[in-house]
Amino acid sequence: MSKKIIALVLAMLMVVSIFAACGSKDPATDGEGTIKIGLSGPLTGAAAVYGVAVKNAAEMAAEEINADGGMNGINIEILATDDAHDPAKVSTNYYNMVGEGMQVSLGCVTSNPCLEFCKLSAEDNVFFLTPSASNDDVPAADNAYQMCFADGNQGGVAANTVNNLGLTKIGIFYKSDDSYSNGIYEQFKANLNEGIETVEAVFTSANETDFSTQISSLKDCEFIFMPIYYTPASLFMTQAKDTMAANTVYFGCDGFDGIESAEGFDITTIPQKVTMLSHFNSKATEGMAADFIAKYTDKYGADTLNQFGASAYDCVYALVAAMEKAIENGKTVDASTSASDLCDILKEVFQGGFTFAGVTGESITWDESGYVAKDAIQYVIKEANA
Amino acid sequence: MKKNFKIKHYINYIVVAALGILFTVMALTDSFASPLALIQLEKIVIAVLLAVSLSVVVGFLGELSLGHAGFMCVGAYLGGKVSVLLEPVLGNSFPTLLISMAVGGVVAAAFGVIIGLPALRLRGDYLAIVTLAFGEIVRSIFMNSSRETFGGSLGLATPRFDKKYLFMVGFVMVLICLAVIQNMMKSKHGRAITSIRDSEIAARATGINVTKYKLIVFTVSSFFAGIAGVLYSFSNNNVQSTNFSYNYSIEILVMVVLGGMGSINGSIIAATLITFLDIKLQTILTGNLAVLQDFIYAIVLILIVIYNNAPGLKNFREKYNLQSLINKIAKGMQNPAKRRDDEAKWHRVPTKIEIDEVLSTKIQRDPTTSIKPDKGGND
Amino acid sequence: MEILETLINGLSIGGTYAMIALGYTMVYGIAKMLNFAHGDVIMVGGYTIYVVMAQTGYPLIGLAAAILFCMILGVTVEKLAYKPLRGASPLAVLITAIGVSYLLQSTAQMIFGSSPKMVTLLDLGNVKLGSLKIQWNVIITLIASFVIMLILTLFVKYTRTGRAMVAVSEDKGAAQLMGINSNAIITLTFAIGSALAACAGFFMLMKSPSLSNTMGAMPGIKAFTAAVIGGIGSIPGAMLGGILIGIVEAVSYKITVIAPYTDAIEFLILIIILLVKPSGILGKKRREKV
Repeated sequence: MSKKIIALVLAMLMVVSIFAACGSKDPATDGEGTIKIGLSGPLTGAAAVYGVAVKNAAEMAAEEINADGGMNGINIEILATDDAHDPAKVSTNYYNMVGEGMQVSLGCVTSNPCLEFCKLSAEDNVFFLTPSASNDDVPAADNAYQMCFADGNQGGVAANTVNNLGLTKIGIFYKSDDSYSNGIYEQFKANLNEGIETVEAVFTSANETDFSTQISSLKDCEFIFMPIYYTPASLFMTQAKDTMAANTVYFGCDGFDGIESAEGFDITTIPQKVTMLSHFNSKATEGMAADFIAKYTDKYGADTLNQFGASAYDCVYALVAAMEKAIENGKTVDASTSASDLCDILKEVFQGGFTFAGVTGESITWDESGYVAKDAIQYVIKEANA
Repeated sequence: MKKNFKIKHYINYIVVAALGILFTVMALTDSFASPLALIQLEKIVIAVLLAVSLSVVVGFLGELSLGHAGFMCVGAYLGGKVSVLLEPVLGNSFPTLLISMAVGGVVAAAFGVIIGLPALRLRGDYLAIVTLAFGEIVRSIFMNSSRETFGGSLGLATPRFDKKYLFMVGFVMVLICLAVIQNMMKSKHGRAITSIRDSEIAARATGINVTKYKLIVFTVSSFFAGIAGVLYSFSNNNVQSTNFSYNYSIEILVMVVLGGMGSINGSIIAATLITFLDIKLQTILTGNLAVLQDFIYAIVLILIVIYNNAPGLKNFREKYNLQSLINKIAKGMQNPAKRRDDEAKWHRVPTKIEIDEVLSTKIQRDPTTSIKPDKGGND
Repeated sequence: MEILETLINGLSIGGTYAMIALGYTMVYGIAKMLNFAHGDVIMVGGYTIYVVMAQTGYPLIGLAAAILFCMILGVTVEKLAYKPLRGASPLAVLITAIGVSYLLQSTAQMIFGSSPKMVTLLDLGNVKLGSLKIQWNVIITLIASFVIMLILTLFVKYTRTGRAMVAVSEDKGAAQLMGINSNAIITLTFAIGSALAACAGFFMLMKSPSLSNTMGAMPGIKAFTAAVIGGIGSIPGAMLGGILIGIVEAVSYKITVIAPYTDAIEFLILIIILLVKPSGILGKKRREKV
């Protein structure tokens, strides 16, 4: 027994010593002459494709900016941490990044973890501009801004679009345990004309691959609204291509983007028409979007190319542009600016009519609550086969 | 009473309390340079509560439960809801935390009774799958709740307790949990519970009320899991049902198994180290290296389990282990008179119930392997 | 009409679950361990098919390669991770299986990246019965799982090796005394189980051509549920349980109000069945002896 006691004491001593080591780190002197942008996203697990896209694009943007002389001569650095789409891991990531000298952040990639991030960053007054955490509650605090459309906003716009089409019956296919899908769905339903009959089919994360039942529920609808991400959407289309009428229209939101570049999925084999309402089209052939697509594909390949990455790319550039604007306005922004000071500076810029032109929009502005204002474009990804 | 007092029976309380006081002093004097340490302490305390409470079911009652996260989920959501409702009245204060813990713990305990009932009819792996199913059902119900009740897929937004103080509450809860469970296991009830593990039929034959004890164990275990859940809800701004999947239950089970079945101290140490490893991997392996987190965790897990349990490695284990290392150090420190004392110990018939020595029958024969929760008559 | 269609969908979902459950039940029956890594072997099978398809273009070669590769993997894992623990606590083996599951998932992400891969195997179209359209792959999955069940049953009942398997599952020690090499039998079981997982991977891809490193986790758990419902260790029971779970899932997804609760309903049915029949529908009741 006494051996056990000694073992216990030793183990506890070890823990104490590790904590002591923890405490000895001094974050303030960790500047090293770069501006550090923190990011927490799902780099592993089922949602990894979105997190990896954001990380890649953000790092690419940082490299480009640094090659171009940096932000007012100061290099920027991306700190990418993994939360595996688990909100419980966010606080560790957040304080870890704070410890490493994070000055400004891209927040979280996905909505649920981002709600945790919001509270933590609001406490410390750390500015963040999230590329893709689209929940309506994300920009609640004044330090939080979105580059993507908020879910409710998207749902409302989508409902208006559908209302104008003069349909009498539509199908809705959404993921019931996903906040993105649910958020759009709720606002869509709320704004939809009452005269339109809806047929609803849901799926859950437990079965994201076999949609035979849902397809049979929706098979009489000629217009299907799908506020889901492109992976399940492409599977749905593949499985439904013979069952659905050829004149059916699939209508998605920004989550649809990436569907054409999904590896192994050939959208031309789908007879139905595929459309989406989005801020970015990964098959764009002109403008900044085309430029981004070429660079990204060149560097990381096409299989993680989607609007998450485009949005993240814009976020980094927007943050840098905002910092440069602040310097123009006579503020000091450098590697030693504290996160809280930088937050106040950036808030002032973002509230002061800051306009940004990027991959996901030519004239992007933010309203006082932090929601983005830019054009949602209805893209026809593929026409119906004649 | 006084005569029977032996420090080694209270060593884990003393160590936990000492660490708690040490960290409290460090927190109050702001000696932690990074808030990360406080977050780690919260996570560790929660993990310890979960592991100790699960070890009663798995290690002492000998039933496999894969639904411990389900009880935690109940506690987190109910406690979180109470805290949301109380916040306008009492603020985010200590009374709010206390009431939330009481509600979360009691409701989780009630679920423990509900899940304890099938435990009377089912055994082994069948019970395991039922507990897993229970956890997933609970999760699904909270996941599909409306936005107003429990937040649905977005999760329940809960007030976060000041991180400077929450871990202290956690330490106190660990001490209470230890006191309840160790005293229960030291009493005649504890002996009844372990006898059910060793042979249910024999226990029944000697007149032990198996039904009662199984329900007691499930209730106590889920109560503390519920408390851990409430602490979790106070350590996060959001309670999210996706967190409490069977994977989390398994993670808790890993702590119990690695700590050595039927050893409460082992569970505490394993929970501490595993949580610590998790956090370290998460903070060190960032960016492109993130994919290595699970890889390293998996390899460490497999190697430890094989090293600890493989019958073929018994000799190797005896030669190179922590204990023999400690023995060597300890031997150098001991004076001869004391060593004789130790030798005499082998001739002493254990008359007192000492959790690690007597309850786990196998430890006496072979101090290095853990006890099998196998039922006697099954093979 | 609606009902018939839902039923067929249920059978198609159930067919895949049945095939996974068969593997689960075989391994459990003989090695007496809950192989939590079984679902991930499906994923490995899927990726093997993907790689071979990219090289050759023939789905059936892909299937053969996947079966072979999964068998090798299954046997290797058994030798390295489970065999050293034979005779140790079953919980230790359970934990190792979980470790193996994490290991396979993270390795797959390291090799194939994080984005889901799509692989189109065979496009067989539909068969029309009146106004009812049934996809060929549904029919094939069902037939295949039924045939596999039949072969397994016959194998276990009528071959020497099969009977040796039964003997090992009844009493490993006694079987060894009768001259059966139980280690070899257990290894063989893992090979068969992994081959079944590879087949399941093939049929899953046929219906839904998406590959990701977590694709096996949830079907694995569902199939485990199915195996327990049918009576774990019983081969026809696994089939029955799989089909039952499939039909429940299809019906539940069909009714909009309860559709989000589908998983909960499946698990609830499991609990109810176990409460009524504690060893599953076709499971043998073991009397405990002292």
